[in-house]
Amino acid sequence: MTQPRTYRAVGLTLRKSPVGEADIISSLYTREHGKLDVLARGARRLTSKLMGHFEPLTLVRLSIARGRTLDTVAEAEVVNAFPDVKSDYASVARGLHVAELVDGFSASSSSNPLVLDLALQTLRVIGSQPAVGDGELSSDLPLRYFDLRILNLSGFMPELFQCVECGAELEPELHRYAAGAGGALCSDCIPDDVAVRPLSLDALKVLRLLHRTGSVDQLPNLNMPATVHAEVSALCTETVQYWLDRQLRSQAFIDATKFA
Amino acid sequence: MTSDPTPGTTRSLGQLIDRLHQLPGIGPKSAQRIAYHIAHIPDDEARALADAIVAVKDMILFCDECRNLTDASPCAICANPQRNRDQICVVEESRDLVALERTRVYRGMYHVLHGALSPLNGIGPEDIHLPQLFARLQNQDNPLQELIVATNPTLEGDATADFIHRRLADTGIRITRLALGLPVGGSLEFADETTLSRAIAGRNALE
Ligand SMILES: [Zn+2]
Ligand SMILES: [Zn+2]
Repeated sequence: MTQPRTYRAVGLTLRKSPVGEADIISSLYTREHGKLDVLARGARRLTSKLMGHFEPLTLVRLSIARGRTLDTVAEAEVVNAFPDVKSDYASVARGLHVAELVDGFSASSSSNPLVLDLALQTLRVIGSQPAVGDGELSSDLPLRYFDLRILNLSGFMPELFQCVECGAELEPELHRYAAGAGGALCSDCIPDDVAVRPLSLDALKVLRLLHRTGSVDQLPNLNMPATVHAEVSALCTETVQYWLDRQLRSQAFIDATKFA
Repeated sequence: MTSDPTPGTTRSLGQLIDRLHQLPGIGPKSAQRIAYHIAHIPDDEARALADAIVAVKDMILFCDECRNLTDASPCAICANPQRNRDQICVVEESRDLVALERTRVYRGMYHVLHGALSPLNGIGPEDIHLPQLFARLQNQDNPLQELIVATNPTLEGDATADFIHRRLADTGIRITRLALGLPVGGSLEFADETTLSRAIAGRNALE
């Protein structure tokens, strides 16, 4: 049976690379086909009807023609451009954190609609937060929820209830955590060859709360000390970087621009 | 490093093809075509091309004032007494400045960032010529009337504009952004929702 020449897909653009005179290769995470690279001919021309459709963090509906090396966009329609996310640079950086992780944890042609739903929900929550420059630093908690959920959906959820070495139930005290060992450790176990960090009881409680929460828009308004916030962020970043085996670029940017 | 030449080519051709392929916008086929073209042109033409490349590297520097590429600092625009020093227009690249100059509408000064904030590429404020912009504004003799942010209407360009805007919010400098609207010759029905909503938000009175 021959495949039809064109197919349809709805997806979130993760990144774009300019190629040739005015073309774009867009990487999307689609509901139907997982991660997909498509060629948008002429999309950088101001007069192109494709222009603006392939900025990162745009949900688009596409009609795609099969090509020999790369499939080509035949028609595109913006479903949601997330203007609230794009209205300030700090939420852009947060949104791109979402895109970077979806990109990093997904393989082409294996689709998990839950990943797309998670990404879209997280972007909506990011867009509804107050802008960073407007005074109060808004919380990174939705991003940490996203980190844990995407780890979970990818099969890398860190263990938060038992010691990953001996299996003992974690007592309410100061613990340790090793991304490389798969999660929390009791006070007796010291695994070899992995980086271990202390894990405060407060941070463990926050992580468990994130784990229990059903969706990112149901996150409670936590009034947690900056130190706990920083600990949870560092731990999530470390775990994500461990599994992706590289530094997160968007995270370095988020840190570098926190001058406010 | 060049690997063994493909059968039918030579090591020197292979090296040239590799070098050309590293240039922006040049794919493997174009690189090959240009390399074979160069192999066929007269010696003096090839040498003139090579000299031009070397001369650019030897001569070119950043203008101390506007950071544009120039052979001498201050550059011709910054040194021109006819230009309006009350306005600075911020662009991402030198070629954007050239495009704006071609319109002959703008008579103020420029500042070239040589890039835009790009979280996914790890490009932060210190990696482009933003600190030089802020320093320049602080050292202005006369208060600036207007800072025109002409970064591209892309995710990165918008984030850069927002960063500049927030950073300078307390200075009282009037900050404007290039009008974002419909492309000339375009058709409403093909405009994406972002372009259309910005075109409506930035509409002008008919005069
Ligand atoms: Zn143990
Ligand atoms: Zn200059």
